Amino acid sequence: MVKSHFYDAIIIGAGNGGLVAAAVAAKQGLRVLLIEQHNLPGGFASSFTRGRFEFEPALHELCDIGPKDDLGNCGKLFKDLGAEIEWYPVPDAYRLIVTNESEKVDVTMPFGEKDFIDKMEEYLPGSRPKTEEFFALCKEVNSALNYLAESKGHPDKKKLMQDYPNFLRTATYSLETVEKAMKIPENIKGILNAYWCYIGISADRINFPLFAAMFIKFMEKGAYVAKNRSHEISTALEDRIRHFGGEILYNTKVEKILVEDGAVKGVLTDSGLEIGCKHIISNASPHLVYSSMIKPSEETPEFAKKSLNARRVAPAAFCIYLGLNKTKEELGLKDYSYFIYPTMDTTKLYNSMKNRDNPLLQATVCLNNVIPDCSPKGTSIMSFTTLFAEDSWEDVKPEDYVKEKNRIALNLINYFEQSTGIKIKDSIEEIEIASPLTFARYTGAFRGSIYGYETDSWDSILPRMMMMESDVLIKGLRFVGGAAFRTLGYSSAYMSGETSALLTVKDIKEGKQNG
Amino acid sequence: MDKKLNVKIKPIGLLDIIAFSKMVKKRTQKINAAKTTPIIPSEVNKNALLLHPKTQFMKISEIIPESPKVKTFVLRMSGGGSPAFFRAGQYVSLRLRIGDSVFTRPYSISSSPNDSLKGFYSISIKGTDEGFFSKWALDNWKEGDSIEVSSPEGNFYYEPIRDARFVTGICGGSGVTPFLSMAKAIAEGEEDFNLTLLYGSCKECDILFKNEFERLEKLANGKLKIVYVLSDEKKDNFENGFITSTLIKKYSAKDSPYSVFICGPQAMYNFVSKEISSLNIPQKYVRRELFGEVKRIEMVNGYPVEHLNKFYQLKVNYFGGNTQIIANSNDSILVSLEKSGIIAPSKCRSGECGFCRSKLISGEVFIVPDGDGRRAADKKLGFIHICSSYPISDLEIELPR
Repeated sequence: MVKSHFYDAIIIGAGNGGLVAAAVAAKQGLRVLLIEQHNLPGGFASSFTRGRFEFEPALHELCDIGPKDDLGNCGKLFKDLGAEIEWYPVPDAYRLIVTNESEKVDVTMPFGEKDFIDKMEEYLPGSRPKTEEFFALCKEVNSALNYLAESKGHPDKKKLMQDYPNFLRTATYSLETVEKAMKIPENIKGILNAYWCYIGISADRINFPLFAAMFIKFMEKGAYVAKNRSHEISTALEDRIRHFGGEILYNTKVEKILVEDGAVKGVLTDSGLEIGCKHIISNASPHLVYSSMIKPSEETPEFAKKSLNARRVAPAAFCIYLGLNKTKEELGLKDYSYFIYPTMDTTKLYNSMKNRDNPLLQATVCLNNVIPDCSPKGTSIMSFTTLFAEDSWEDVKPEDYVKEKNRIALNLINYFEQSTGIKIKDSIEEIEIASPLTFARYTGAFRGSIYGYETDSWDSILPRMMMMESDVLIKGLRFVGGAAFRTLGYSSAYMSGETSALLTVKDIKEGKQNG
Repeated sequence: MDKKLNVKIKPIGLLDIIAFSKMVKKRTQKINAAKTTPIIPSEVNKNALLLHPKTQFMKISEIIPESPKVKTFVLRMSGGGSPAFFRAGQYVSLRLRIGDSVFTRPYSISSSPNDSLKGFYSISIKGTDEGFFSKWALDNWKEGDSIEVSSPEGNFYYEPIRDARFVTGICGGSGVTPFLSMAKAIAEGEEDFNLTLLYGSCKECDILFKNEFERLEKLANGKLKIVYVLSDEKKDNFENGFITSTLIKKYSAKDSPYSVFICGPQAMYNFVSKEISSLNIPQKYVRRELFGEVKRIEMVNGYPVEHLNKFYQLKVNYFGGNTQIIANSNDSILVSLEKSGIIAPSKCRSGECGFCRSKLISGEVFIVPDGDGRRAADKKLGFIHICSSYPISDLEIELPR
């Protein structure tokens, strides 16, 4: 073992959070090393080719980018870093199809407050006042969250009570509780809650501010995808890291975080390298870090061990990627984003994610409806995503794996065909199927989870943000990504990368290992 | 705010501030109330690793001579247990150290997926003059030797959601090996499709695995049929000549769509492609295995021949250092590195899998058009797959590790 290197900060994992953390820290002048086990940057934010198609593995739409003249926080972050990315706006918010006979819905909802409310009124006459109220509340919540971020976790309580009373009233409640209090009728609720699957737990558990902030950001700034799939974002960030003098080491796994007297002192890689540092920003989740990476393991704090038992690992994804040998027009795929649910009851939907019997719920996209030339002439690309929770994939043996993937894939494709009347099976030229195992394979994510930890009110964005500093349980060790303080989603992961990098810079300037 | 909103959950006032302020306390309490029970690693992560191990350390347990130039090597895990399960038709990349150089080569697994559960893979290697790795392996490998094997890779397999139920396989030379695995998988009931294999050889004596195929045909309940096609010999019970569109039509499904799977040398593929184009088979029903390394770069369409037989400076950056080597323009960058003993990641050696993705910092390369499997964003930002990139100037590159 050679100990020949020392860095100001080592970033473990080149996922969305890790990439931004490395870029921001390098830009701030730190000597940075980013270590990634895979041979590519991005984690889930990648791409892969099959035949004449290049597929997007993970992203449906990115929140908080915004148009050029009205950039969102994430859009600003990329601009500040100088990351050149060709963004394409998503045309509509979503088409929601609910198939249950007694709840039947088929609506296409636009972005933009006015358009959304008008459309809702068109589908559900008389819905306007309640929808307006919902928007007003979401806006207040989002403003309050921005204020909290500005105040760096030390808000003026008087100002909060004066300017954001409804935020205070709703901050600790679930989406369902708030909607009930607002007396929003079931049919309006069903349409408003369509994005629930982007958070991955049922409406009775989703923390309201988290949902409200996401909902209003989508409505106000729209949604975007990168022209050349998420890999374009990740390579642009990779490029920036190098530009600012950061180093990247691929195909290398950090096996251990070396800790002494409660403080970080380096990492040990699977290639036997020991590299020194006093600061680590980990894109690997607390679940991986605290359960197996701390060396010596006795340095793992009690509170960390308890947190692993208290927190719930969020759902994992199952995706089907199709390269089709017909155009979207020939197939009749008019929409980009299809949320198709057997029922609007998100508790029932969440419960169905706990086993593999008959998965139906899906978020399905046709990329050509955002990027017309994302596939060769005469073809189109679709991807299907469903979610699985808890231990639903623990018992799938390697030898049964392909058959099980195919069974579930057919189930989802058939359900799409039945729900939309669009026939796609005969046009499949390329197919790839990713299961929780696939996501685990490429990123090491515990159980293949794509969403970090579940965001019940007690462990949602607010308490996590407020505990950002006290969650530094080992001096010099901060987290980024979906399991970190910003919670799940691409934009949250990017933003967490910026915050953790800046806090690390601050730590170093102040000559201390933690805040 | 557009209008006054008052969401009544509880009366506004002190209580809300308290609930808000209590969030930290509540989360802390919730965590403190939990046990310190160690987290058991998930089976999902374990099984992902079983299916896709980074390296499988195996030993040659048996060597079976198939013909004067072909041997089958049976590989078993050095530490016992089973190698990774796979899909019939996939390959593994073997790593070989010769002197100071380290090379990899992809070989199709010729045993069945079920055989891997019984603890082994078989690979069959044909020694040709151009394939020095193959020749070296045939001459030097002996029972008990250790081999580093990659996880199973590649997309050349039957996929029921995509492919037609009736598959016409076309192969020549050692291209038969993935089909042997598929034939076994069909006979064992692991895969459910109908395979008719048009197997091209020069003479009857060149045919490999003939007895094995006969045995499998009997087991497969009519789902497997092998048609031997001899180019240099006329014999009863054999087709004669090349694998033409007429022959493909004759043996393919008549009343339903059929998929064509092709695995063989480039020359065969070029010939067969032309024949297939006259059959109007949709692209989705035509699949081919990768060729592996380009043997003679000057034969590749578009190669600027003035660069042949040149030597270029190749500066290689990697973590913790850099080195300068001389690269022969006739070799891919990967081969030049390997000859200099620099270990670079590689798997398919055909430009497709992207495992060798590296950053081109300066200089120019020729990229084999058929082997340019790069992602669009990588093309834009100057990344190359070094297994299918050839230097046409002095170069500087950065390896992923």
